[in-house]
Formats: sequence, structure tokens, C-alpha cells
Amino acid sequence: MSQRLEVRLVKRLPGFTLDVEWSAGDGVAVLFGPSGAGKTLTLNCLAGLLEPDAGRIVVGQHVLFDSATGVNVPTQRRSLGYVFQGYALFPHLSVAANIAFGLRGRPRAEVQRRSAEVIERMGLTGLEYRRPHEISGGQRQRVALGRALAPDPAFLLLDEPLSALDVGLRQSLREELAGILSEWHVAAVLVTHDVQEAYRLGDRIVVYEAGQAIQAAPRSELLWQPASERVAGILGIRNVLRGTVVKASHDRIHIRWRGQILESVNSPIRSYLPDPDTPIAFFIRPEYVRLIRKDRGPADPAHHMNLLSGQIVRESDFGTTVTLYMKLDVPGRPAQGDYDLEVEVPRLVYEILELARDRRWQLSMHRGSIQVLPGPR
Amino acid sequence: MSPEHLSALWLSVKVSVFATALNAVLGIPLAYLLARRQFWGKSALDVLVTLPLVLPPTVTGYYLILLLGRRGWLGAPLYQATGWSVAFTWYAAVITATVMALPLLVRTARAAIESVDRNLERAAYTLGRPEWRTALEVTLPLARNGILAGLVLAFARALGEFGATLMLAGNIPGKTQTLPLSIYTAVQTGEAGQALALVGLLTLLSCAVVVASARLGARAL
Repeated sequence: MSQRLEVRLVKRLPGFTLDVEWSAGDGVAVLFGPSGAGKTLTLNCLAGLLEPDAGRIVVGQHVLFDSATGVNVPTQRRSLGYVFQGYALFPHLSVAANIAFGLRGRPRAEVQRRSAEVIERMGLTGLEYRRPHEISGGQRQRVALGRALAPDPAFLLLDEPLSALDVGLRQSLREELAGILSEWHVAAVLVTHDVQEAYRLGDRIVVYEAGQAIQAAPRSELLWQPASERVAGILGIRNVLRGTVVKASHDRIHIRWRGQILESVNSPIRSYLPDPDTPIAFFIRPEYVRLIRKDRGPADPAHHMNLLSGQIVRESDFGTTVTLYMKLDVPGRPAQGDYDLEVEVPRLVYEILELARDRRWQLSMHRGSIQVLPGPR
Repeated sequence: MSPEHLSALWLSVKVSVFATALNAVLGIPLAYLLARRQFWGKSALDVLVTLPLVLPPTVTGYYLILLLGRRGWLGAPLYQATGWSVAFTWYAAVITATVMALPLLVRTARAAIESVDRNLERAAYTLGRPEWRTALEVTLPLARNGILAGLVLAFARALGEFGATLMLAGNIPGKTQTLPLSIYTAVQTGEAGQALALVGLLTLLSCAVVVASARLGARAL
């Protein structure tokens, strides 16, 4: 089913104002941002559990809320499935009764057929008569999804579905959730404050901060083109740096940083053309910085773009990857405390290059790995 | 035990059962409203329901006379229309016991309802249930133990009711003389042995009630 979701909301609470506008197509829209940014509030407005002060909510052809015309469809008739934080399964009802809860009012034969179908597709066969406290965390997630999906809702709302779980289970349930969401082809809005979860589950990501939606973009675009330094900060992007513009064209921006000139790509879509000497923020993804091998002759500036040299001052071992904190061989204060750049290398590279022993390296970055963060207009 | 005291025991049980039933009918919806809804006059209603718990029973009884007595605000029109008054009948004993027991049920049930996770109710709404069905299918079943404990406490309170009953229903042997009134009369008339027997009986009943409410996990008292 094709469902386009259009959301415009204003909700004033004591000490907090939610004022957002975004839209999403089919698939999973993730509302991402720090706790207290208004994500769950948005979900509750979508569900009709809370009435916005102003705005408009449209799902496909159906207007669920419109302050201008006074439309406010009650929760019960919004045709939505809500997966609550902690799942909110009815503790006094069996797995089967939980799943059939939303099917009330249909002919008994249909209720039985549909619940049996959902129980089977969710892999809950054999657990029909258990109570929620008698099944595992993963099974509970499937009951919650099954209960929400059984009445065939127009869209699904998920509030931090994985946050209550411990790390190991969390990863496997994230994969399971991704599988179920794509298998059931249901339009969904998912709230999370976990950036990995947002990237893994979201087709479209809406970044929330302090009651505002500061960027709404497809996943790939958000990954490479955060709209601002604030978005980059919320996404936990590392190596967010500040320099000045040397010159900008539609497809290139040259930046002066730490006495060096860096060449980065500009997005033709965005057409951001700052004047020379404008301060500019940009970021370099740590996993895209290359160390130049010393056993293959000297570095070739024609081949190696954005060539820098420096030394490793510290490192953090994350098991599968190692983060190196590098200080450039240039005078002046390092850009990020005692270092200029974070560089992330896979463990294998760390061992092959003997980085534990050899601390001085030349670095290179492709211009496509340096991303400019447009400032306020 | 004399027939007079047996009839007092029977009357006490009858009054308490009716009062508890009335408590269930009035008190459970009231507890739900106080726990889950915001409305104008909510705190006033809360105070009104709780008042019999803190006022001297004779004061509550006096208010009931003002309300329901032959010349009361409600009692006078009733008496003029039908020539009948609730005062000094066993119905009066039921009404006073109900009023005196209501705060115990409402407070206990309200606490139990408030402890039910609101997301469970919200989940029921999203699955199409109107509020009253959600209350019947989700909220009240999950608050069951607290509500039952409240009913047990209400029954005990009704059984022990003395002061307010004396004011509105009087102390008419065989008609409105409940067990506590009968004990009072036995002591006044010097029937020490009878009084002791009745006191023992009432103590036993009350112990059973305390055990029952503890089993049900009553928390509000």
C-alpha cells in the first residue's frame, strides 16, 4: 500500500515547544535525535493520543488532523499500529489474545484465521497460551509487532522499540525488525536516539533537535550531506572542522585549514557558493582517511589528493577497528585539542602497517570524502 | 447468644453486604474518574469523598440527617411526597455504612488504577477500543487486586460502623441495631458476658478481613 505521510505540528507544553514539518513516503521514516527533542511527542500526536495546538496530519488520502478545518480523527479510528517503548503487552492476556485484541468486531472465523496467520508469520507458534512474562524479549517484540499489524493498519508507529534491550539481543532484534518491516510492506514511523539504528532501519531520516525537525532526507543523503553543523553534531559525525573558503564553484570548494589548502566536492544540487574568506565548517570521515604506504615509493601529489603529514599522538582500540588521533606537522594549535584528525583503520591494516611501532605517516583524502556543512544563510 | 444479638449479627452482615455492593457500583467508577480524568471540581469531589474518613462519625451522621432526615434537604420533599422517611430504617444503616466505607474503597482502588501502565490503555485505544471498553478489559482487570482489597476494607468498615449509624438509623433492637450498637447496649445494660462474646465475634471477623486484604495487596490505608 502506498502511503504518503505529511506532518505539520505545533504543540506547546510548559517549557517546551514542538514545531515540526516533514513528510515521508513509503517505507520507514526514522525520527532521530537526542532524548527530549520531541520525537515521542510527535508520535503521540500522530496517534491522536495528544492533540496538537495547530497543524495538519495527512496519511495517503486521509486527513487525520487539521486545525484549520477542525478535523481530529480519534485514535480508535486512525487505523494505525503502535509499538510502544517496552512493548506494553497486556500482561493479563495470552499471546494469542494480545494479537487478536485489535480484531474485535470482525466475524469469529476471520479473527481466528487472521490471528493464526499472524502467529505463524511471527514465528510464535506454540506460544499461543503463554503470558507475556513467560516469553523471551525477542518473542515479546514479535508479539508487539504482531498485535499492531494484525488489524492491517495504514501505518505503524514504533517508539524506541529496541531501547529496553541489552546490546547482544539488541543487534539481533534490530535485524529481525528490519526484516519484518520490509516483509510486511507497511509504512512506518520509528523513533530512536541510536544513530546506528536510524541508519539501519530508516529509508528516510528526520533529525530532531529541541522540538524542531532540522533535516529530513533519505538515508544516503543524510549520511553524506548533513544540512548543517548542528545536524552533523547530532549524528555524531567526527572530525567536524572549521576553515575558510578559498574559492567555491558548483562542483568544488577549496578550503584553507591549518595552513593547508583542502579540495572538497560541492553539491550541484545544493548550489552552495560562499564568498572567499567566509568561515566554513566541514567534516572528514575518519574511515575515509588513507595512510600512504611507505613500501611503494614516495607519495605522488598528482595521484594522492589532499596530502598531509603528521604523527599519531594517541589511539583507541575498538577491537575490530582502531582510531588514531593524529597531529599534523604544521605549526599552530591542533584543531581538536591535542590532535587534528581522527583516522579510523581496520585492525588488519593496523597490524600490516605496524602502526604500533611506526607513528609518522603521510595522509591523503579524496575530495569526495571531505564534506562541506553549509552555514546559516 | 440471645435472639436479639443474633438478629443484630444478621442485620450487620446484611447492611455490610449491601453497603459493599453500593460501594462497588459507586466507588469503582469514582476511583477510575479520579485516577484517569481531569475535570472541573475534581479536587472538591476528592475532598468530599474522603471527608467521612477524617470527620468524627457523629458529624458525618449529622450531615446525613441534614440531608436525608424527615426535614432534610432531600428527605423533606421525599417525606411530603410519600409520607416515608429513610431515617430510623435499616436502609439508613446501609446508606451511612456506604458513605463511611466509600473513602477506603475509592482511595485503595484509585491507587491501584493509577499504578496501571498508561501505555497499556493507549495500546488498547490504538487497537480500536473506546475508553469504557478499555477500562473494563484492561485497566480494571489489572487493578483487580487493589480493587478487591478496597472492597474487603469497605466491608470491614461497614461492619464496624457505629457513630453515624446511630445518628441516622438510631438504635432500635431488631430493626436498626447492628452488632456494634448491640455491643454498646450490652455494656450499658451491664450484660458483660454478652458484650464479651459479641466483641470476640467482631474481632474475629475483622481479623479475617485484615488477612484477606493483606493477601490481596492493599497498599492504601
